[in-house]
Amino acid sequence: MQRVTNPHDDVAIHRTSPPVIEPGHTFGSVTDKISALTLRRRTPIGWYIGFTLSFMVAGMLMMTIAYLVMTGIGIWGNNVPVGWAFDIINFVWWIGIGHAGTLISAILLLLRQEWRTSINRFAEAMTLFAVASAGLFPLLHTGRPWLAYWLLPYPNTMGMWPQFRSPLMWDVFAVSTYATVSALFWYVGLIPDFATLRDRAKNRVFQIIYGMLALGWRGSARHWARYEATYLLLAGLATPLVLSVHTIVSLDFAVSVIPGWHATIFPPYFVAGAIYAGFAMVLTLTIPLRRFYGLEDFITVRHLRNMAKIMLATGLIVAYGYMTEAFMAWYSANTYEEYMILNRMRGPYAWAYWSLIFCNVIVPQLLWVKRVRHSTVALFLISLVVSVGMWLERFVILVTSLHRDFLVSSWGMYSPTVFDWSMFIGTIGLFFTLLFLFIRFLPIISIFEMRTLVPQAQAQINEEKGQA
Amino acid sequence: MDTTSYNLPPAAERWQTRALIIGVVALVITAVIAFFSGSLTHSGEAGVAQGEAAAAAHGSTTFLAQFFRSYLVGFLFVTGISVGSLAILMLQHLSGGSWGLVIRRILEASTRTMPLLALMFIPIIFGIHSLYEWSHAEAVAADPILKHKSLYLNVPFFIGRAVFYFVVWGALAYFLNKWSREQDHTGDPRVKRQMQNLSGPGILLFGLTVTFAAVDWGMSLEPHWFSTIYGMLVMAAWGLTAMAFTITALVVLSRHDPMSHVYAPSHFHDLGKLLLAFVMIYAYFSFSQFLIIWSGDLPEETSWYLRRLRGGWELIGLAVVILHFALPFVLLLSRDVKRNARRLVLVALLVLVARVVDWIYLIAPASHQTEGHEQSLWPMLLLDFTTMFAATVGLGGIWLWFFLRQLRQQPLLPIGAPDLDKVLAAATTSQH
Repeated sequence: MQRVTNPHDDVAIHRTSPPVIEPGHTFGSVTDKISALTLRRRTPIGWYIGFTLSFMVAGMLMMTIAYLVMTGIGIWGNNVPVGWAFDIINFVWWIGIGHAGTLISAILLLLRQEWRTSINRFAEAMTLFAVASAGLFPLLHTGRPWLAYWLLPYPNTMGMWPQFRSPLMWDVFAVSTYATVSALFWYVGLIPDFATLRDRAKNRVFQIIYGMLALGWRGSARHWARYEATYLLLAGLATPLVLSVHTIVSLDFAVSVIPGWHATIFPPYFVAGAIYAGFAMVLTLTIPLRRFYGLEDFITVRHLRNMAKIMLATGLIVAYGYMTEAFMAWYSANTYEEYMILNRMRGPYAWAYWSLIFCNVIVPQLLWVKRVRHSTVALFLISLVVSVGMWLERFVILVTSLHRDFLVSSWGMYSPTVFDWSMFIGTIGLFFTLLFLFIRFLPIISIFEMRTLVPQAQAQINEEKGQA
Repeated sequence: MDTTSYNLPPAAERWQTRALIIGVVALVITAVIAFFSGSLTHSGEAGVAQGEAAAAAHGSTTFLAQFFRSYLVGFLFVTGISVGSLAILMLQHLSGGSWGLVIRRILEASTRTMPLLALMFIPIIFGIHSLYEWSHAEAVAADPILKHKSLYLNVPFFIGRAVFYFVVWGALAYFLNKWSREQDHTGDPRVKRQMQNLSGPGILLFGLTVTFAAVDWGMSLEPHWFSTIYGMLVMAAWGLTAMAFTITALVVLSRHDPMSHVYAPSHFHDLGKLLLAFVMIYAYFSFSQFLIIWSGDLPEETSWYLRRLRGGWELIGLAVVILHFALPFVLLLSRDVKRNARRLVLVALLVLVARVVDWIYLIAPASHQTEGHEQSLWPMLLLDFTTMFAATVGLGGIWLWFFLRQLRQQPLLPIGAPDLDKVLAAATTSQH
């Protein structure tokens, strides 16, 4: 695509990879710059505006939940035959978004991809908040969330025992494990930075709070040795979760016999879709953040470009999934399978199907172009489009498969109520509220890991190698 | 760097001759055994299991059917090495890891066998009526499902698609090899970019062609059955075959002089990790398919597994789980096994054998009529295993002969690649 005209211009070609950290930084400058965001700089007015708006939207969520608990889930648009709708669509959407965080923090760590360093903290936070938003939906869909512990296998006098053959049951374990491991991973990654904040904080209250969170970290060699081992172990634990959680989410559908749900390709196709949506969200959040806080030195074009490439790759897998579904529906020669895909393409929800194809398959093809991958505006817009597309994908899978199944007499239509929307939008408010708090009170980029990328650290490593 | 120092060891000439002889002999043996088995079942002797008689009545256990089925197993295995290598080659151009440079020449030589594979496909065209039920006009006319599918499953389109697959694979292999050779001679850094730019769309083409090839060659053996993950399953199977073969080739080369000082434990470590990844991916896809079909329990889908869970096949299935997943998985978890070439090659060989067993498991039961016959089909099974292994060794031997000829044409390392020095140097320092 892009040709360098002068064949002797080696440097130009070797420098096609932008650096992971802009030149000129030292240990001190990295620490100063990141910790200042929480400790020194005045909270920008934009933060107050953003936080207030998000908190208001989250307030809408709380009101919806209160009304829901008092009235029952009848306030949603769910009906027969569409018994699962916004609740599961949003659950899958949020859980999927979380996956990019785990992929960045765990898998890219194991693969020794150093570019992950400046985005992992942020992406992990995103994971946690996304899982929190996701968890609300099935919890509230139970109708009596205060009895949610009935989902757990515990000896009781009611003679009740979970159905272990149901993937919904596996979901309980998969998602709670995922939440736990993600939280642990995030917290462990924060410990050395908490210590940095503790040491640099001037305010007594902050000193005490960060001090408690730092768990007495002094940065001794022994601390570091144990720390590294723990972190790697947690990464190893988190890695299979990227696959298993969304595999199980996909099985929620695939183990049934509903055309459009029962497809063997669902596990890998859902996992790819999750990573796709997740990277779209990371880009959506990172691009404005690095701009407002002037973090272009740490989150460079290289990061954005790599994320764009992962998005393109996973997007193509997702497109492959759509193609296979359509082809196999015809190839199966099964009336119901064929009708399912025709109904998606030409039925009452065709608008959703074609919008999804536009958002998830057509628009991301722009990412083949290098100019687009290097343009923050284009990436931001594409990532928004993909987020919408992935939401539509779940809408299409859920609603079009359920609303017309085997018997024409049991066909129906689905439309969400105002409470479906207020709950969905409310979780976006919750997500951003948590995110704004995170940006304000915690280091959004891992300080100690960024220090290892500075030339100073490289020099030290080389020196030690020379001595050995 | 000195070009002459990275050539194939002289011993390779002997390997080449031996591979060809073994290949031809094994192919002859396949034909002979298949021939006798055909006459055995044709005579309809008493003492032959009832199921077999039923199968003979079905017209599937003739000499030709047995031969072509075995040939198909061998063909799918061997094609997997080349097409899988093509995919790994493109992946290493895209990801640019150091692991890719040390195996690049082996991968490239594998991809250059594409013309041979296209030739090897010709017998399948002749065997099309013995292999594929949908190729019989009267069977299609009697079966509404086959009639529906005949738009896709018909002989001219089947052959046309195969030609298309080989053209795509051949073209990708041709350009990647050509540019890699250019890089050796000129050291031009633009070539690297060129190979990267082709590899992105190349992977896409790989995914699409392999998916439809999998439907054509494997899935349509049981033309009523369908599974959306099947294409990905075959992609993973072929990637795994290619990875295991490449590791084996690398270890063999590392025992002989020019290369014995080049490869380091860290190289094997990286490749071992990739092998483990492929082992897990295949198991993941395979288990997903099983779980979803088992749980849905729909007659049009379970027939495929029912044929593979009766008459002795259930034990083969179990063997696949153990040999193809459990054993290599546990072994490859060990860091020591991955870094030690001698141990790693044993795991790679185990995986290759397991791949053959798995292909037999995927292909052979298609023509066995096990429904309603709970008794043992062991004589049939034994026959299948003998001829199918022999056919794999046969095609594999001929392929290996051609592969070694290709391997000889280039230095065993991409000497013009910009990062080669760094990769080799890093390996030697990490040895200590």
